[in-house]
Amino acid sequence: MLGENAITNIGSRAVAVSRELGGITILFAQILRALVPPRLDTRELVKNLHKMGNRSVPIVALTAFFTGGLMVVQAAPFVQRLQATSLAGWAAGYAVLREVGPILIALMFSGRVGANNTAELGTMTVTEQLDGLRALAIDPIRYLIVPRVVSMMVMLVCLTVIGDLIALLGAMLVAKAVLDIEFGIMYASFVENLAPEDFLHGVYKSLAFGLSIAVTSCYFGVTVRGGAVGVGRAVNAAVVAAAVSVMLLDFFLTYLNV
Amino acid sequence: MTAPASLIEFRDVHKAFDGKPVLRGMTLSVGKGEILFIIGTSGVGKSVTIKHLVGFLRIDQGEIWFDGKRVDQLDEKGFYAVRRRIGMVFQNATLFDSMTLAENVALPLRKHKKLRQATALAEAMGRLEQVYLTGFADRFPAELSDGMRKRAAIARTLTMDPEVVLFDEPTTGLDPVNARRIDRLILELSRNLGVTAVVVSHDLASIFSIADRVAFLYQGRVHAVGTPAEMRDSPDPIVQQFIQGQSSGPMETPGF
Amino acid sequence: MSFVIDRIFGTISAVGAYAIGGVRAALELWMVFVGTIAGIWRMYGRRGARRPAGALVEQMHIIGNRSLLFIVVTIGFIGMVMIYQACLQFSRAVGDLSQVGVQFLRLIVSDLGPTLTAMMLSTRVGAGIAAEIGSMKVTEQVDALRMSGVLPVDYLLVPRFLASIVMTLGLSILGCAIMYGAGGLTAWLSFEVNPRVFFDVSMVRPRHLILGLMKALAYGAAIPIVSGFCGLRARGSSEGVGWATTAAVVGSSFAVISIDFLLSVGALWLLGGDL
Repeated sequence: MLGENAITNIGSRAVAVSRELGGITILFAQILRALVPPRLDTRELVKNLHKMGNRSVPIVALTAFFTGGLMVVQAAPFVQRLQATSLAGWAAGYAVLREVGPILIALMFSGRVGANNTAELGTMTVTEQLDGLRALAIDPIRYLIVPRVVSMMVMLVCLTVIGDLIALLGAMLVAKAVLDIEFGIMYASFVENLAPEDFLHGVYKSLAFGLSIAVTSCYFGVTVRGGAVGVGRAVNAAVVAAAVSVMLLDFFLTYLNV
Repeated sequence: MTAPASLIEFRDVHKAFDGKPVLRGMTLSVGKGEILFIIGTSGVGKSVTIKHLVGFLRIDQGEIWFDGKRVDQLDEKGFYAVRRRIGMVFQNATLFDSMTLAENVALPLRKHKKLRQATALAEAMGRLEQVYLTGFADRFPAELSDGMRKRAAIARTLTMDPEVVLFDEPTTGLDPVNARRIDRLILELSRNLGVTAVVVSHDLASIFSIADRVAFLYQGRVHAVGTPAEMRDSPDPIVQQFIQGQSSGPMETPGF
Repeated sequence: MSFVIDRIFGTISAVGAYAIGGVRAALELWMVFVGTIAGIWRMYGRRGARRPAGALVEQMHIIGNRSLLFIVVTIGFIGMVMIYQACLQFSRAVGDLSQVGVQFLRLIVSDLGPTLTAMMLSTRVGAGIAAEIGSMKVTEQVDALRMSGVLPVDYLLVPRFLASIVMTLGLSILGCAIMYGAGGLTAWLSFEVNPRVFFDVSMVRPRHLILGLMKALAYGAAIPIVSGFCGLRARGSSEGVGWATTAAVVGSSFAVISIDFLLSVGALWLLGGDL
């Protein structure tokens, strides 16, 4: 009896997930088609870049700072034991640039910008503004969605770059405060051990994360049904989908070692 | 399958939602330049009918003709050409919350006439003048009353210079003064700009003041059609019940 | 010149306003927390207290069971990635991979397991709580509760608070297990590390377990408080619910990271660097 329920549960959940996946893929294809030829509404693009950038810088900066510090704290026991202070910079820097930086910044971005985007599009859907656009023979994908997707991708890459730098800064500060390692040593450790490929690896990841977060966020926004409750549910779904996709993409990109 | 003489024609249209039939063989024609009211009780399928004209819904069976061509088989892209000629004013006005009135009206000008923002805004002001809203051009929709929002939506729809404008319950929820203003606007559109107006409504005052013809929808079909005077004097008891606004009578209204 | 001064003053007052806003938000959050604890006392600490039937179990189901698959998938993948990176680095730096499993477990138990699980939960559970409570607030159901003499904190927050603490604890433990298992699998498949060498618990001390448990408890408490707070502040209609959910996700995630940072640094200081 219990087993039956569990199987039906998993089955129906699988069907629901694949339906969403199908919808997301269709939206992705529509977005690609709208990019050829690339005729963007520049006003919308600029407005979104402005909005998304402004909103997220403070929270990303704080997160990045703490993340850098955390990496140093984690590395601390090894550093103490092996008395290898130069190791601190390398360990923290490597983790930040390649993994922790892009992932945490993407998750924060998904929460701040992605969820907001879903809420906005969701409200517009519920109040029929999207239908209003279609009635005016304006393609909502070209006008509304593509600028947002492009903005989110560009913004996440920029934020990751800035965040990486702030994280390294945070690492240096925490190293001095907690482990009494001089700035100079940390800096030298960074320069010696971290290669441009490490940095770029993180940037490529953020590009992929940005695309994924953007498309899922827009998808759940425009498929909202049922008023205020529906919008809340859509935001919930968007954030969860973004988190899962970030983890999956990270996995594949790490193995491909782009 | 011959092209009809009238501008718009519905031929034996059927539409069901989740197995529940709403339109059951609706046949109706709309002549060029006339003001046609589609009336009936709530839920009988009035809004559904006009939504088919601009492709927000697809029919299950039947034909819809516009200007000598069939439009029921078009895909989304095909409907864009239709939507430039048939405008729609939604029941909730659906202005864009994030833009001022002027920007709202300027948007289709920018997109379709490829005007720059400054030029589009200037022309938008002219359009707002037509609906007596120039003083509110810089306000946001949330700050305005329902009547004003409706008028702004009409102005926005007119920027495409459509031949036909569909109105989905334009006076529902408005106070009597504003309702009559909207009526007058629709009349001016028709007489001065030659626009064909298809109005979905159950506002008897509007019907009897501006309609050229009235189509009464009942149980998924056009039960009666004629001028307002003909409807008022109709011997059909069902028509009479609606026109007189009586709560009981021969009409079958599901849910009561 | 005056332009520059104006800009400087502008920035200072903006930062100041930010700071004041932050302090106020922190105070209000603290009040919600205190209110919730008081609510727990009101509902469970006294005899004859009114308890909404089954609410606690229902919340535990929503928070725990429904998140299960999500946590398993995400934590599993991140575990694999982490080990992959770690093995790459270890083989480059030290050449010997025998220590990877041992050290990794310490890291998982004291930090990664609870923290990453909580980060994932803050998106799923945080958004869910804010969306539910937010919609209720916006459709005036919260006011209706007050009218019937029930404190919203008691009815809405207390079950979610308790459920979240229990479930976060449980899921953190599960998360640790999954991470470790996925990591071991990756180490074995990609780097031929013998599972027997990898799965070694010898270096895990009680202090790691305690730190991990403390973190999991703190996260479990923080997420519902922050999300419930955001939900109760929702205003307007669907737009307000959207805002509340967004703020909840960001706030919960940030709370998790801050708590992680504070507890980790604190532990380091207390134990004099020997974690």
